Amino acid sequence: MTKIIVPIGPQHPLLKEPVSFQLTVEGEHVTESAMRLGYVHRGIERLCQERTYVQNIHLLERICGICSHVHTTTFCQGVEALLGVKLPSRALYLRALLCELERIHSHLLWLGVLALNIGFDTIFMYAWHDREVVLDIMEDLSGGRVSHAVNIVGGVRFDLTDDRRVTLLRQLNGLEEQVRILLGVVEHEQTLQARTRNVGRLSLEQIRRYCVVGPVARASGLDVDLRRDMPRPPYDGLTFQVPVRQEGDVWARTLVRMLETVESVHLCRQMLDLLPPGPVSTRVSRRVPAGEVVSRTEAPRGEVVYYIRSDGSDKPARVKVRTPTLTNLITLPSQLENVNMADVSVVLSGVDLCIACADR
Amino acid sequence: MLFKLLIFPGFLFLLLCAFVFDWVDRRMLARFQGRVGPPWYQPVADFIKLPTKEDTLPQGVNATVAAALPMLALAAVLTASVYVPVAGVVSASFEGDLIVVLFLLSLPALTYFLAGWISVGVYSILGGHRSLLQYFSYEVPFLMAVAGPAVLSGSWSIASIVAYQAQTTWGAVMQPLGFVLAVVGLIGKLKRDPLDIPKAKSEVVSGSLTEFSGRKLALWRLSMNMQTVVGIFLLVNLFFGESRFFDVLPAFPVFGLKALSILLLLATASAIYARLRIDQLADLGWRILAPLALLQILANVGIGG
Amino acid sequence: MGFSLRSIVYLLPQVWRVLRAGPLTVQFPFAPPELQEGYRGQVVVDAARCRGCSLCVRDCPAFALELEREGREEYRLIYHPDRCAYCGQCELSCQFGAIRLSNTFTRATADRDTLTRVLVDRRPSPPPLDE
Ligand code: SF4
Ligand code: SF4
Repeated sequence: MTKIIVPIGPQHPLLKEPVSFQLTVEGEHVTESAMRLGYVHRGIERLCQERTYVQNIHLLERICGICSHVHTTTFCQGVEALLGVKLPSRALYLRALLCELERIHSHLLWLGVLALNIGFDTIFMYAWHDREVVLDIMEDLSGGRVSHAVNIVGGVRFDLTDDRRVTLLRQLNGLEEQVRILLGVVEHEQTLQARTRNVGRLSLEQIRRYCVVGPVARASGLDVDLRRDMPRPPYDGLTFQVPVRQEGDVWARTLVRMLETVESVHLCRQMLDLLPPGPVSTRVSRRVPAGEVVSRTEAPRGEVVYYIRSDGSDKPARVKVRTPTLTNLITLPSQLENVNMADVSVVLSGVDLCIACADR
Repeated sequence: MLFKLLIFPGFLFLLLCAFVFDWVDRRMLARFQGRVGPPWYQPVADFIKLPTKEDTLPQGVNATVAAALPMLALAAVLTASVYVPVAGVVSASFEGDLIVVLFLLSLPALTYFLAGWISVGVYSILGGHRSLLQYFSYEVPFLMAVAGPAVLSGSWSIASIVAYQAQTTWGAVMQPLGFVLAVVGLIGKLKRDPLDIPKAKSEVVSGSLTEFSGRKLALWRLSMNMQTVVGIFLLVNLFFGESRFFDVLPAFPVFGLKALSILLLLATASAIYARLRIDQLADLGWRILAPLALLQILANVGIGG
Repeated sequence: MGFSLRSIVYLLPQVWRVLRAGPLTVQFPFAPPELQEGYRGQVVVDAARCRGCSLCVRDCPAFALELEREGREEYRLIYHPDRCAYCGQCELSCQFGAIRLSNTFTRATADRDTLTRVLVDRRPSPPPLDE
């Protein structure tokens, strides 16, 4: 059978962000694949060195259009460590609250994208409608739907009134109901399972070898979650489960993400219940003492690592970001080996790529 | 005769139905998904808009063939429509017209495949290839399911199948399995969700039609929409022929209602399923649908014979 | 594969619920958008409060604010919405509560220069404010 080269990207209906794959296809069978990155490289790390810490928060928030808050959280966490300030615990709770909301939003968005890519438009619509609920909550809390701009070095910029807390709890209850419906679809719907089961399988060994993180790793049986393994407040005082599956296919990833979403709703509720009183920020100096720090957070897609070096001025000397997508991307060539042409879309969505994160 | 061919139940009526069905379908799907859906003039606006766009073809594609293919598809569908009665009114009919209709209705699948074949784009080639595979998967169960009523009534003329149902009852009541199979087959034939494998957006962009634009694309879409209408009308005739229960009401609105109900079924199916993979469809077609269709035919032979 | 009737039409009950609940679309350009109270939109300034300290200019990450100083008390604060990232940093940085983000956000033009607004004009004999 003749071989043809099928280009997926940099512009393709399957992709929401520019990245390019060259697939060698025989009939309906993909035999080889090559990947090219860098279409959305914006030089953010370099730009960081030109801007003050205050400005960098907003710059780093724009690394990703989905998990923006987690980037600023990781950055602020690092800078706070350099400064040696201790945050008021209300600030930590509010930060984590937004992190969890963002996780829900990210996973629902992802489910929608997966559904769209397997031609399941209805689930796409439902998932994105439920995501809209989260976006509305976040918009109300922070003033922005995706770029929240709530983190500052030394705390957060928003606060919750008691009334708002009560309505928020009610909204979360409704949200959980919706998410459970979607979870049921993932667990029981036949056609969705037919498309995602046994597709893009990664063994635990491969996961270890490629240093895969996040839900993709957890779907292959690697039980990692920074929130539990390296608990920082407020996570040390909260109870939650880390869903882990052994199958390692796209279906398991879907299930893990949806279970995580439910856990996140629980976490949000706990945080709202335990929300300590007090101020939401402390004043800190604009200049950061010289030193270097590594800051890690569990983002929706896995572990984000920031390395920050300061030379004592009000601008960082170096900021290096390692996003989860970067590690997970590396598994793609091996996942795309010997798959059906129709499964390419499933495989690509299964990893939950955030190209903008990877390219920066 | 000319009135029948051109106005009712001929070309103009079909055109109107194509637009109306397209709109109703999109609207229903939208409501299932919690959306509003397009306004009623959207299909017409789409159809008018497309011919005003630039009509391009990639280099190396035979322009004559590319222009002829959508017309051929449209012509086949229109010819088929001549033999399909609408509320008992039919332009032409003869013993064995069902076979002609089935043959004509499978022509668009062939032209669709050819459209991918002549094209130089990889997505078109893949799409064309897939459409052929899909054709082999759905066509046999579909033909067998549609042959069911013919076996039952002992005639290959649509009119006598309708007449037979008037004496007994709806075909769908007597052979529910056959009806379900025919609907599945029709979904495959029309390349609708969830069997839109040859034009799966996230996999092969737009399949065979990726490189088509302007007037040709408008013709393709029109032929698809008309095929939907003719296919649905055919199923209404075969499985919901004029029954005694509805004799009190005028035939035309009842016929419309039946057709829209089948459209509702199609829309529901596209709402609640994910797209299958081509090998899964082949499996479904040959392992499940075809044996079931055979079973139905055997049962029909039992009842009818 | 275990097929049960329920799993074949799994989504049907939910579709029915959605159908009964009606569409959720917000027909945005034809209907007003549903904005929350604190939505961060266009920057506005209470000119009487502004002291021209330029703290907002210093911290703006998108360089959307500009202070043209002509003397100690003579200056213009200029805002370029085309560059603004609507981050709200200016609001946070201003020590006098002069600058803030309102929740209007629709603004469209084919010429980005026409967007530029002079927020505060403290020049000796100000020419008429645009707008
Ligand atoms: S909102 Fe942000 S980008 Fe816009 S003017 Fe204020 S500080 Fe600058
Ligand atoms: S708006 Fe506020 S921060 Fe900006 S110049 Fe005026 S007083 Fe200073």
